[in-house]
Order: sequence, then C-alpha cells, then structure tokens
Amino acid sequence: MSVLAVFLGGMIGTALRLGGDALLPHEAHAFPWSTLAINVLGSFVLGMLVTRVWPVAPAWLRAGLGAGVLGSFTTFSAVIVSLLEMEGAGDALGALFYAVASVVLGLAAAAAGLAFGRRPMPGEGRA
Amino acid sequence: MTAWAAVAAVLAGGVAAVIRYGVTLAFAGRFLPWAVLVVNVVGSALGGAVVALSSMGGMDAGLRLVVLGGVAGGLTTFSTWSVETVQLARSGRYWIAVGNVAVNLAAGLTAASVAWNVTTAILLFPMGRA
Repeated sequence: MSVLAVFLGGMIGTALRLGGDALLPHEAHAFPWSTLAINVLGSFVLGMLVTRVWPVAPAWLRAGLGAGVLGSFTTFSAVIVSLLEMEGAGDALGALFYAVASVVLGLAAAAAGLAFGRRPMPGEGRA
Repeated sequence: MTAWAAVAAVLAGGVAAVIRYGVTLAFAGRFLPWAVLVVNVVGSALGGAVVALSSMGGMDAGLRLVVLGGVAGGLTTFSTWSVETVQLARSGRYWIAVGNVAVNLAAGLTAASVAWNVTTAILLFPMGRA
C-alpha cells in the first residue's frame, strides 16, 4: 500500500516539477528560478505536513505525500547540475549565489513550514 | 518525441521515488541522515554523467528529460534534506545539521564532477569511437 502510494505520489511530484520547469524555462547556464521556487515551496509544504498532518495521517498517506509527492517534486540533482553548468560557463559568482540562496531559502521555508503546521487551527486548542 | 519523453520521465520519477523510499527504509533509525545523502550523491553523479553525454551529442533531449528530470530528479530530494536539517538543529544537534548541509553539497558536487569527467574521458577515448 505504502509503496504504491510512493509510486503514484512520485509520478505526481515529478509531473508537477516538470510542469514548473516548462512554465519557467531556463537556459543550461542561466539562473534556475523554477528549481529554486520548487525546492523552497516543497520545503515549506513538507515542513507543514510533518507537524500538521503526520501525527494524524495513516502510514500510506505519509509515504505517498512525503516520500512520493514532495520527495519527487523537489530535487537535489538539478541544483548540483546547475551549479556545475554555471561554474563551467564562467559564472562562479552566480553559482555561489544560487547555492547560498537554495540553502538559506530552503532551510527558512522548512522552518517556517514546521512552525506553521504547529499553530493551532481556528477553533482548536482553546478548550 | 516530447509527449512520450514526458510520460516516460513521469513514470521514471515514480520508480525513482520507490527506490528512494527503499533506501529510506534501509537506513531507518540511524543516528545520522544517511538515506538522503546516499540518494542525493547517486542522483548527482547520474546528473553529471547525463550533462557530459548530452553536451557531447551522445544523448538527445528526450532521453535527457527521462534520465535527468525523471530518474535523477525523482531519486534525489531537497525537501526531506531541508526539513531534516531544521529538525536536527531544533533538537540541539547543530553541528550535525551544519554537516548535513555541507556534506550533501560537497559530496553531490564531487560525485557529479567526477561522473562528468569520467563520462567525457570515456567518450573521448579512441576505442569508444571505433
């Protein structure tokens, strides 16, 4: 059940990522805005799911959404490939900026998502 | 070509997610976040090889989309990496959190760079063109 959920979620996440790349296409050596946006958004959503949904979700749903959708939506290899391509094209400063932006914004988004998921929903936690 | 490549890339992304899930289960319960490091390094190496192949004309755009966007993109993950890092820091394991960022980046870049150079060397080797 969980493996099937991961497979289906992985296809959904990959399709969303490729769709994002198609919406915001970039040349091989150019700044990959789509990957940055995808990784930041995915970090926020996963953080929120971890604190808001995981405590009440069945195992297959956690696997399907976490390992499946968010795991495949976000990507590490595309970041690395872009860093090498930018550096190879002589844009070492751009590569450094991209690496720092990915890490800082990704961690900030994950922290914000985790904190956001911990907030009580309206009408919750007031009893 | 493009439609079939997109479908194949999405399917490959699903299969790669299952492989990543298997790696996560294999490393479950470890003190250090090994699973994400393993898939990110392997996927980055694959990415480096793909870029070398396609830059030398050894791979068309459709296959590049399947292997780079589907397999490597689906195998590697950024969101689990960032969330795990924040959780490590929040639990007081600051140096492991810092190391998790540094080691993934350094090992990923090294793996991709080595794969790129090895693939280029193999393609340039005279026997490979015979």
